Amino acid sequence: MSRMKTLLCAAMAASLATTAATSSAASDPVKIGIMLPFSGIYAQLGEAGRDGLKLALKEQAADLHGANIEFIEMDTEAKPARAPELASAMLGQHEADFVIGPVHSGVAMGMIKVLRGKDTVMIIPNAGAAAATGPLCSPNIFRTSFSSWQPSYPMGKVALDKGYKDVYLISWNYGMGRESLEAFEESFEAGGGNIVKKVLMPFPSTNFQPHISDIAAQDPDAVFVFFAGGGAIKFVKDYDAMGLRGKIPLLGSGFLTEGTLEAQGDAAEGVLTGLHYAEQLDVPKNQAFREAFNTEYGHYPDIYAVQGYDAGLAIADTLNQLSGDVSDKQAVISTMEALTINSPRGDFTFSRAHNPVQNIYLREVKDGANVVASIAAEALEDPARGCKL
Amino acid sequence: MTTELFFVQLINGIQYGLLLFLIASGLTLVFGVMGILNLAHGSMYMVGAYLVWYFATVTGSFTLSAILSAILALALGILIERVLIQRLYNRNHLDQVLLTIGMIFVFNSLQSILFGNDPYGVAVPSTLDGGIPFTENSSYPIYRIFAALICVSIAGVLYYVVSRTRLGMLIRAGESNREMVEALGVNIKSLYTIVFAIGVMLAAVSGIIAAPMRSIVPGMGESVLITCFVVVVIGGMGSIKGAFVGALLVGLISTFSSVLMPSMSNMIIYIFMILVLLVKPQGLFAK
Amino acid sequence: MIFEKRTERILVPMFFMVALFLPLFLESNSFFVGKVTTIIILSIFVMSLDFLVGRVGLITLGHALFYGLGGYLFVILAPEYEAVNFWIYTFYICGISALIALITGAVVLRTTGIYFIMITLAISQMMFYYFFDSLEFGGDDGVFIFMKPETSIFGLSFLNLDDPQHFYYLTLFSLFNTLVFFKVVLRSRFGRIVEATKQNPDRTEALGYNIFIFRLACYVIGSTLGAYAGFLFALQYGFVNPSFLAWEMSGTALVMSILGGLGTIYGAILGTFTYEGLQYLFEHLTEEWLLFMGSAIILMVIVLRKGIAGYLEKLLEK
Repeated sequence: MSRMKTLLCAAMAASLATTAATSSAASDPVKIGIMLPFSGIYAQLGEAGRDGLKLALKEQAADLHGANIEFIEMDTEAKPARAPELASAMLGQHEADFVIGPVHSGVAMGMIKVLRGKDTVMIIPNAGAAAATGPLCSPNIFRTSFSSWQPSYPMGKVALDKGYKDVYLISWNYGMGRESLEAFEESFEAGGGNIVKKVLMPFPSTNFQPHISDIAAQDPDAVFVFFAGGGAIKFVKDYDAMGLRGKIPLLGSGFLTEGTLEAQGDAAEGVLTGLHYAEQLDVPKNQAFREAFNTEYGHYPDIYAVQGYDAGLAIADTLNQLSGDVSDKQAVISTMEALTINSPRGDFTFSRAHNPVQNIYLREVKDGANVVASIAAEALEDPARGCKL
Repeated sequence: MTTELFFVQLINGIQYGLLLFLIASGLTLVFGVMGILNLAHGSMYMVGAYLVWYFATVTGSFTLSAILSAILALALGILIERVLIQRLYNRNHLDQVLLTIGMIFVFNSLQSILFGNDPYGVAVPSTLDGGIPFTENSSYPIYRIFAALICVSIAGVLYYVVSRTRLGMLIRAGESNREMVEALGVNIKSLYTIVFAIGVMLAAVSGIIAAPMRSIVPGMGESVLITCFVVVVIGGMGSIKGAFVGALLVGLISTFSSVLMPSMSNMIIYIFMILVLLVKPQGLFAK
Repeated sequence: MIFEKRTERILVPMFFMVALFLPLFLESNSFFVGKVTTIIILSIFVMSLDFLVGRVGLITLGHALFYGLGGYLFVILAPEYEAVNFWIYTFYICGISALIALITGAVVLRTTGIYFIMITLAISQMMFYYFFDSLEFGGDDGVFIFMKPETSIFGLSFLNLDDPQHFYYLTLFSLFNTLVFFKVVLRSRFGRIVEATKQNPDRTEALGYNIFIFRLACYVIGSTLGAYAGFLFALQYGFVNPSFLAWEMSGTALVMSILGGLGTIYGAILGTFTYEGLQYLFEHLTEEWLLFMGSAIILMVIVLRKGIAGYLEKLLEK
């Protein structure tokens, strides 16, 4: 889906505002490839990421030293089989300077296979697969979202602080689910907590009822889960429908209540989750971002838009520091890895494996919103196990 | 597993199975009568769920929305049969498969264009909200009991219509001998249109009933399609009774396996289906 | 002449002539060489399916099982950081796939019609979930092939699989051989009996032929070539993922073969190129490409009674 849209207006505004002498790069556009799902289950995540990315580059247009930005969009459909082919099109056919994508971890692997170690800089705006900034880390691979470890690890300590001794864990049996539960276990067991039972149910089954009956029978102090999207909505609703809400506290990785609250309704009230963002986060940049996004697109942004926006900021800041010249790829990488991104989630930097070093907030659902209760972990860095950078 | 938990899971399994029956009934009916393998059956389930969500947000009444959506689905079924399916009756079965795959693409795309890609939820109608005390610390949602009752009644009505009424007689006759029915002066074309439209409506109704219990998301149609096929194949394609038994078996097996051996439970219904077909290559209630 | 129809005699040489010289007009690292390579590999896969569905009458919705297996068998068998011999591993992979086809075929061929469709689907779904849940093979994320095989025969090496052009010609050569192989098989005595089992199973049985054995043999042949195509696909980008053996993959291949003209063998190439071409076109035109793709499929089913090959034959055979 490479509908090429050149942000001519941005370049024009920039060249009018600055004197003609600023840059020689104006003739040679900076190509940003967008590889996100625009159809299928993850379409909404893809659209949000793209909108955020474009907003960032539009806002920063004056600081790009006249660089022309050209967007190339491709629909990954969240299908891993097509990922290497599309990535090589970005590389060979379009000669993209940056590739933003994807959402789905399997697609990320297919893209990494092609892009790893190449000149094109890949920025992952969502997929949490540990491997991307772990064993497969590479100088040209960055991530502006999270590793699956990050939102879940602090929740073990949160559970201990709340006095929960026996916790029941449940998620889908796939990469993100396994890694999230393991991260929780790591901090929870280190603090003396006891895992009553750990269930990895088949993905993408949403037949939760038998498991919720089992939770009721086990009667743990609390339940920790990783579910996202449609599954998250259904789990939270089932949990409430079976009468467990208010009796056994429900904790989760933040995606449990992210972009799903409206559909979950009252059933989500009181759920505690950890995430690197919250819509009502009290950071000045966040309010400005939310209003700007709403003005541009007519609705308020979600976490996926923030992550796309930050990918855009990373590119814009790099271009700014390099005076719009991206021909030296080593310079691009070393500039980008030293950035402090002024993100709506609060400032963050990149770790040696190029994963964000960021705060994880503890949020509680109150009146249909994720309200920040505290900072669960400050400047948390993913351990990047297996990364040799 | 304690005895109490066993009974709890038994109820969960039956309830899940009943819903599966409702989704699968239209598929087996259409195949039995018309010999059409409708791969877009899951899309019709999705259509029902999205329509009821849309009308519920507009009107605020679940009952009204449910009725509106079911009628629209019936009309959609007639339209699809008249415009597309009818052209393929004297063609290879594979052409029908291809056509219905094309329909999956179209419906997925229309869903994205008309309703967007955000995940949605439908609130349980207020009269059926809440639960009855169940075990020590959990309750059983009233809506789910209601949904199970609806599924049982639809099963009853279907069984009655097929085995006791004139329409049912024609349907049964149409399955075994097309020419005979035509010789009786019945317009087989209209009969097919009616059956196909009822099949579409049954899928949509299951989507409507399921809407308050699950999330309304892109791709929800495909997620039920394969399970549906497993159900009707185990029961015997075309048999309503078979679909009922097949659905309950699949519901119970997947419920118990997902608790007792979660890592295997994705594979287990397929293993079960293969075993059934090895013993009875035409399914349990083959004709 | 193994090509019986005039249409084949015109189209097949034309296709291979164009394909033979195509890379000379493109840069060697060009994306299009890779894209066409992928379509050629898919054509082999679709052709093997067309043989089963169109010629033997075995409508399988689980053919992707072998496509995925081709890649996973290499991952399972080959050492991770050592370049193995391509020809030897092709032999291993085809051999094991044939064995798996023999075993599963003996099971699935007990059923017919719609039940055959469903039992093949069930077996491939089972294996899909096996690889999806398996930690040792990368689970849902899939797994990388780090070392591409080397291709020497008796110490002589003339192919470098890392070179996109070399790999292109290897796949084109494979497609040509697959086409010729099927044509020869179908014209042989064996092929004529297979034809008879499809047209009139009862009479063939009455003539003393064991239909089951013939069908099983065909199932093994088709599945093995499907696995070979999957092996090539895994090698192209060095990436294997459970989605390669998902039912959607089988469904898409079925669409391609019906589109091309069921049972024509060479139609598989037409169907695959048309499908991929249309998708590429629509994706570049609009974000709602699925709508156009779906409508195009529906339209073609209604208009083209015997696929693209059938349409061309109507034009050219007079």
